[in-house]
Amino acid sequence: MISIQQAQVGYQTALIDIAQLALPAGQIYALIGRNGSGKSTLLQSLIGQLPLRAGSISVGAFSLEELQKNAALRATQVSFVASMFTGVEALTLRAYVSLGRVPHLGAFGRLQATDLQFVDKVLQALNLSDLAQKDTRKLSDGERQLASLARAIVQDTPLMVLDEPASFLDYFNRELLLDQLQQWVQQKSERTAIFSSHDIDLCLQKGIPMLVLHHQKLTLLAKPTKQEVMALL
Amino acid sequence: MKQRSIQLLISTGILLLVLTWVHLFVLQQANGANSSMIFWEFQVPRLLSALLAGAGLALSGLLMQNLFQNPMAGPYVLGVNSGASLFIAILVLGAAPTFLNEFSYVSAAMIGAFLAASFMFVVSKRVQNIQSLLVIGLMFASFTGAIEAVLQSFAAPEQVKQLFIWNMGSLQQMSAAQAPWMATLVIFGIATTLFLVKGLNAMVLGDAHALQLGVKVKQLKIVILFVTALLAGSITAYCGPIAFVGLAIPNLARALLKTQDHLLLILFSVLAGSFFLVAIDVLILLLDPWLSLPVNVLTAVIGAPYVAYLMLRQR
Repeated sequence: MISIQQAQVGYQTALIDIAQLALPAGQIYALIGRNGSGKSTLLQSLIGQLPLRAGSISVGAFSLEELQKNAALRATQVSFVASMFTGVEALTLRAYVSLGRVPHLGAFGRLQATDLQFVDKVLQALNLSDLAQKDTRKLSDGERQLASLARAIVQDTPLMVLDEPASFLDYFNRELLLDQLQQWVQQKSERTAIFSSHDIDLCLQKGIPMLVLHHQKLTLLAKPTKQEVMALL
Repeated sequence: MKQRSIQLLISTGILLLVLTWVHLFVLQQANGANSSMIFWEFQVPRLLSALLAGAGLALSGLLMQNLFQNPMAGPYVLGVNSGASLFIAILVLGAAPTFLNEFSYVSAAMIGAFLAASFMFVVSKRVQNIQSLLVIGLMFASFTGAIEAVLQSFAAPEQVKQLFIWNMGSLQQMSAAQAPWMATLVIFGIATTLFLVKGLNAMVLGDAHALQLGVKVKQLKIVILFVTALLAGSITAYCGPIAFVGLAIPNLARALLKTQDHLLLILFSVLAGSFFLVAIDVLILLLDPWLSLPVNVLTAVIGAPYVAYLMLRQR
């Protein structure tokens, strides 16, 4: 459960005002908004990277303020998929995805057999097994984007935040992404995923609840219709 | 994959053992006499300084490449050695002779190394590409060189000669009494680095990403700066500035092991760095009857083309 109270999001000036909003767990939410409406900024605040100008947000049992102060704790509560991962030389896809386990490892960063099983299971679910040993520099943009999703899944946090996770994906992988996210939030209790998207039609078709950013406000549409969304945007 | 890395580590270790034996043997032949005094006073310190300097420089290079997120970083090219050199020159030429002891010498080098590394780190935040950073490193080195030259013009000829020889880089300067000190410092640096593995692994994804994975990025960077200064500074104090080991060996490690797992990279860099400098010293010993070469000439002959190759491959 994510709950937002009187939050003001923005850098020097307030970009978004949210009076009160509660997002029940066990759901995925699509963050919809025009270019420049502040989607990425809001996501940066949700992952505790950008402090709120006012108000509070809580993620499960923790407030964002607590999580901001403690990076190690935050890494066990919130995972983030950035809009772009350009790859690192000599880092294989499997090694990259395994880095998602870092918050759960000891000082020497050794992966246990259970960690590796988990990683391989997720790779298989995302059709990435054949690419496991490939250098992340040599993957396509779409493959890297799926790898980032895999990395966040193995991080195993209650909240997953994704910044345009489908921008490089083809039609089939966009479906796969949404299906995987929907499965992910239901696998364990108290899981929530929030992703920004421009794929309004696909989200409507899948019946995904929407968070619509418009005129510095955020509105939750639990069962959105196209008319409702368009009226707000 | 993992198995191959472990095989590579073990074979490098075995090669290193064989090479240390060759080194001792060649040195014994060169010295002629076969006394235990010569063995402990000359042969062992020389072998140790090659082993320790190689391991420490390679490791400080690996740490700097992680810190700067740049495979072309290293203690020599980014002026860390120069910082150490400058502070040693200031100490040797400026301080009263009573202050010139083991402790002040090594401390000066470490402080110089730390300041230079920190300076370059701050500068690196303001430049976006490798090339500019390397040019600034070069400028920094020539600037400290110029200050050293000015200082030397006030110094006695004997002091100037001493600094000149030291600046050439040498594995023969360390005495038997100094060996335990250098060993302690370098081994402490290596041991500390082993505790940083998890953070170093996450850091290859960049600061923001590593922070998101729970790594305390700021603290880690400060620790890296300290360990780099400890390693590069102490080695520069005992052996003079030695080039290319720190830059070339970690790149070789990544190329051969094809991994970003820093436990493997650290272990391989330590072994391969030692191997490289001991091999170079064996070469120096073998060539000695015909020409006497300073260690930097040979590291440059082998290291510079390799680094140039890496630069070309980056495009």
